[in-house]
Amino acid sequence: MADSHAAHGSHDAHDHKPSFLVRWFFSTNHKDIGTLYLIFAILAGIIGGGMSGLMRWELAEPGVTILTRWTGGDLTAAYNFYNVLTTYHGLMMIFFMVMPALIGGFGNWFVPIMIGAPDMAFPRMNNISFWLYGASGILITLSLFVPGYGSNLGFGGGWVLYPPLSSNTGNPGPAMDLLILSLHLAGASSILGAINFITTIFNMRAPGMTLHKMPLFAWSVLITAFLLVLSLPVLAGAITMLLTDRNFGTSFFDAAGGGDPLLFQHLFWFFGHPEVYILILPAFGIISHIVSTFSRKPIFGYLGMAYAMVAIGFVGFIVWAHHMYTVGLSVNMKAYFVAATMVIAVPTGIKIFSWIATMWGGSIQFKTPMVWAIGFIFLFTVGGVTGVVLANAGIDHYMHDTYYVVAHFHYVLSLGAVFGIFAGWYYWFPKMTGKMYREVLGQLHFWVMFVGVNLIFFPQHFLGLQGMPRRYIDYPEAFAHWHFISSVGYAITLVGMAVFLVAMIDAFFIYRRKAEANPWGEGATTLEWTLPSPPPFHQFNELPRFDKGDAKAF
Amino acid sequence: MKRLFSFLTGLSVLAGSAAYALPEDGGVTMVPPASALAEEVHFFHDGILLPIITAICLLVLALLIIVMTRFNARANPTPSKNSHNTLLEVVWTGIPIIILLIIALPSFELLFKEDVTPDGKQVVQRGDGQTVDFVFPNDFPPSRMVKRREHLQVMLDTGAERRTLSFKDDYSVDGWGDNDLVVSLKEPAPIGASVILRGGRSTQNVTGCPMAKRYFDACEKEVVLAPTLTLKVTGYQWNWSYGYPDYGDFEIFSNMLPEEDATPEMYRFEVDNRVILPVGETVRVTVTSKDVIHSWALPNFAVKIDAVPGRINETWIRGEQEGVYYGQCSEICGVRHAFMPIAVEFVSRPAFEAWIDGQRSLAGLDPMFDRNSAKFAQADTAGAAAE
Repeated sequence: MADSHAAHGSHDAHDHKPSFLVRWFFSTNHKDIGTLYLIFAILAGIIGGGMSGLMRWELAEPGVTILTRWTGGDLTAAYNFYNVLTTYHGLMMIFFMVMPALIGGFGNWFVPIMIGAPDMAFPRMNNISFWLYGASGILITLSLFVPGYGSNLGFGGGWVLYPPLSSNTGNPGPAMDLLILSLHLAGASSILGAINFITTIFNMRAPGMTLHKMPLFAWSVLITAFLLVLSLPVLAGAITMLLTDRNFGTSFFDAAGGGDPLLFQHLFWFFGHPEVYILILPAFGIISHIVSTFSRKPIFGYLGMAYAMVAIGFVGFIVWAHHMYTVGLSVNMKAYFVAATMVIAVPTGIKIFSWIATMWGGSIQFKTPMVWAIGFIFLFTVGGVTGVVLANAGIDHYMHDTYYVVAHFHYVLSLGAVFGIFAGWYYWFPKMTGKMYREVLGQLHFWVMFVGVNLIFFPQHFLGLQGMPRRYIDYPEAFAHWHFISSVGYAITLVGMAVFLVAMIDAFFIYRRKAEANPWGEGATTLEWTLPSPPPFHQFNELPRFDKGDAKAF
Repeated sequence: MKRLFSFLTGLSVLAGSAAYALPEDGGVTMVPPASALAEEVHFFHDGILLPIITAICLLVLALLIIVMTRFNARANPTPSKNSHNTLLEVVWTGIPIIILLIIALPSFELLFKEDVTPDGKQVVQRGDGQTVDFVFPNDFPPSRMVKRREHLQVMLDTGAERRTLSFKDDYSVDGWGDNDLVVSLKEPAPIGASVILRGGRSTQNVTGCPMAKRYFDACEKEVVLAPTLTLKVTGYQWNWSYGYPDYGDFEIFSNMLPEEDATPEMYRFEVDNRVILPVGETVRVTVTSKDVIHSWALPNFAVKIDAVPGRINETWIRGEQEGVYYGQCSEICGVRHAFMPIAVEFVSRPAFEAWIDGQRSLAGLDPMFDRNSAKFAQADTAGAAAE
């Protein structure tokens, strides 16, 4: 523990907040910007989750019967609508839900506090980052309502945007152009945000807080920020080339003009694979704090945990073509990517076992954040081992683009990253809002979601093993059983989300219990728990110090 | 329960004589393998990967249950402050590396079997009742030379029966790795019998080899012969076309059978024109596309390869039994992506030749396999090399 900061609360309480417009639209305060990101993520999550609801409804039975209700019975429009749903569900959840929640939301809120900084290094750039995201969100929404293929609205070529389906051959309409511009803005926003985090973490840590004393969530955001800075420009380059192919007569990806469609895939996945670690690393950081807090034990193998994330981040850049085993790579190249990909299992295993070792010997309290964290550890393991299966090109020739892949990445993202987000939400909710939620509702939310999402995604392994391809609006009778079960799982998950909304409304308007500065007890050792809940508008007018004695920040 | 049992018993046997190899509703396994190679893929999944990943998940689950019961606040009110154990950290770094190596070795072997088109060669010589030495021309590139016992198969066909001879008991070999390999039989080949020599690096475990033997690499091996014909696959929005460059310039378009023409079970699988291929022969498959990217997939053969405009991708398949096998386009290609299935039918060589001649006549070409014409003699030798 660092020095006592109890004095700060009364001192900071004097500061006054700006007017509504200035506070929420011109905001330069990291906590307010974090809140804006979280609201943005919740809205995107509702839209993206609603899209998956339409898909699961349509897929509950063979035949195209549901989406035609929105297309006036037109089958081709319904087929396009389904492809649009898969595409925008992926983009919404990745770019506009998970990234803003974990990095923009929790990262902005807690990285400065955890390292003992008064704010981010570049508060105005932080504001630009958020509003670029806003503009990006508007552009992607607009692209849903303009033609893509023929007169059908939206782009329906999958979130990976492979040409020629995303070039003039497949989707000549403006939907794809708006989508490219939207991703440009989202990318610019994330690069600016990442620069901000790197600068903040390298320069604004409290006196005495060396990198090896820094909390693991700050570590995870630091590594994520590096991944963003290194990978997003490659995506930006790829989609710019796509834009010029579409509009200015270049042929980077057009075989007829001497280009190569596979060039796009290489560039996309050079970004896309680090991207999946961008989505999960901050969740790793959050889970570490929660496991340590509720086990009332320091994190086990702190340095191993930090450098395992560094290793995952590094290796994440040299495995991209394992998404491309079926495109016609040479056998030696596939062999390299098989070997490199399997290496990632080692640092990931270190993290899983270190979390369990942190709990070992602990005095575990099963509060809401902790049950989400334990759920995360198990489900992420399940998603991880199917990743080891898919890493083998010899098997991937069978599994590629089947529901097995869908099950795999939803286990690591929908049951991994999203469980990490909910764990973090319930962990920091008292800190961010100054209010407690009703414990029973948080627990209920977990159990309903846990049953629901497993019922959605576990049977999808079976569908994949049986050969059911991805991104199909309709399927043969032979796949009907597990598709139906999967859709039932969605209905249960929907109930879980309703419980979540009820829990939040209850916390704000009915339960109205004030949160203490540290509601979690002695296990919660990071700096945010030394501040009142919610923290003052400006914190650490007097910096906390870690250079006396053997004080630690984790 | 029965389903679960068949799942646990692992490797399913070859699809039997069933004419159709469809997925099973509610099935939890991979679809039945239809080739020796697909059986190896199944073994790698069911025999190696699935047990390992199941064990890892159960281990993590067990550890979580132990910590939740033994180290909760009630059972253990005072937490330990332990946060390091170097030995433990070395162990849980080292053991996963060993597990990954156990996976990686068969994985690479399988990958190379799948991706390297077989180049096995067969020579047939007549016995005269006296000759015991038969020569196999080992004229492969250096890296593909016949060098070991498993690279060579010797069979004796008396017309009434075909028997695979066993090394040492029935024959010996001289000149491994030389340009001419001499196979010396213990007894001279009878008059009129054929001595069939098959050689090459492309070997596979014979079909139906039980799982237990596969773990110890104890299966009987067979040499896979080089392709005897090429199937040219072209993806379109939204159907497939098939060409047989060895048999003339014609192209067959294959569209999904509309709902009113198909049984409910076959709808979305069945097509109007199936691909027809000869059974028991290695077929080179080249795949390309004319518009956007598609993917040609046949789960029963563990084959999936993208059709990319401007590129020609290559793979190979070998049907072991007559029957029809289905696949579906596996790369999103636009609005009718879900409605461009793939259907491949394996038939006997004579039926295949008759079908080729039928397609040729539809395209206005002369028959190629008219058994009375002089042309046939040439085509027959090409065919006989395969079987």
